[in-house]
Amino acid sequence: MAASNIPVLTTKRLVLRGPEPQDYPDFKATFSSYRSRFMGGPLNAYEAWMLYAAEIGHWQIRGYGMWMIHDRETDKTLGMAGGWFPAKWPEPEIAWIIWPDVAGHGYALEATHRVRRYLYDDLGWETAVSYIDPKNLDSIRLAERLGAKKDPEAASIDGSDAVYRHPAPAALRDSQLSHGIEMEIANYADPLFKPKGFAID
Amino acid sequence: MTRFAFDIPTVDAGDVILRAPRESDLDALAGFMASDRSHFVGGPATRPDCWGIIARILGHWALRGYGYWYIAEKDTDRPIGGCGFINREGWDEPELGWQVWDGAEGRGIAFAAATAARDHGARHFGLDGVISYIAPTNTRSIRLAERLGASFERAGELLGHQCHVYRHPKQGGA
Repeated sequence: MAASNIPVLTTKRLVLRGPEPQDYPDFKATFSSYRSRFMGGPLNAYEAWMLYAAEIGHWQIRGYGMWMIHDRETDKTLGMAGGWFPAKWPEPEIAWIIWPDVAGHGYALEATHRVRRYLYDDLGWETAVSYIDPKNLDSIRLAERLGAKKDPEAASIDGSDAVYRHPAPAALRDSQLSHGIEMEIANYADPLFKPKGFAID
Repeated sequence: MTRFAFDIPTVDAGDVILRAPRESDLDALAGFMASDRSHFVGGPATRPDCWGIIARILGHWALRGYGYWYIAEKDTDRPIGGCGFINREGWDEPELGWQVWDGAEGRGIAFAAATAARDHGARHFGLDGVISYIAPTNTRSIRLAERLGASFERAGELLGHQCHVYRHPKQGGA
């Protein structure tokens, strides 16, 4: 019964797979914690299970959804990232969450950069937004590091969230913006990493 | 577009089939969930909430290996209700549940669907002698449970609501 044909995406440090039954306890731990306060949480056990089921059902209905982010070495789950478009959403969103104990390593940046490329290049998305609670400064900062900009014209989910518009696919193809993102990711993977031939400021 | 499929079987139940829910069932589901009759199954619910219901039913199949079907008319494929196994977090054990949507009641559809689902569960999912949670005031569902041969086992609670637990007879070898 495993959702076997959700594409597996890999990056330097991460492997992204569909949400699997055995990953549920990790999901539940974060969604029943204060960490999930900007994603409708904290949830009780029933609500967490129902949301996890919905994450999987979303894949079946939409053909895309939220991937579970794993450490490539240990296979431990680190969070989720992907495309999210439930019925209430004005348009498809790119979303992410990182478990609180593994925050600060650039995993969300690395995973989200990869899933955005998949949604654009493999699924043909021409635009994408992220709906972010204005108090969620870490996520706003991440949206900005991904090149997203606040879009005051775009409809929000319920008026209490800010809409960040991601750069269009063309703006990410071999651009200074995407090179910058990749350098930042490389710097997380190897803090001593210094790009060759790049101006030092 | 990438598609993936869990193996949700289609089951024959006489005039109707049990099949996987799909997004195109949303209108029919939203119609039922907007009505008073839905209050025994967690309603009323808005149309966007109904989209979530369909997503969660699909995810349940992936998480448990069994789940809840929609009942569709054989000739038209029109969805007219739901039936199948539910075992979310908070459930004591897998439950056989059913609902028949507006305009389709009184034709024996729930009985046919529940019989087929129960039989399929015993044969293929290892679910035999399951329970049904029924609200004590849902006399119609209680009558159906009794017609199905289930009997009252105990008063229970589900998600903070009082409910009665009915136990279905074992199907094995029958």
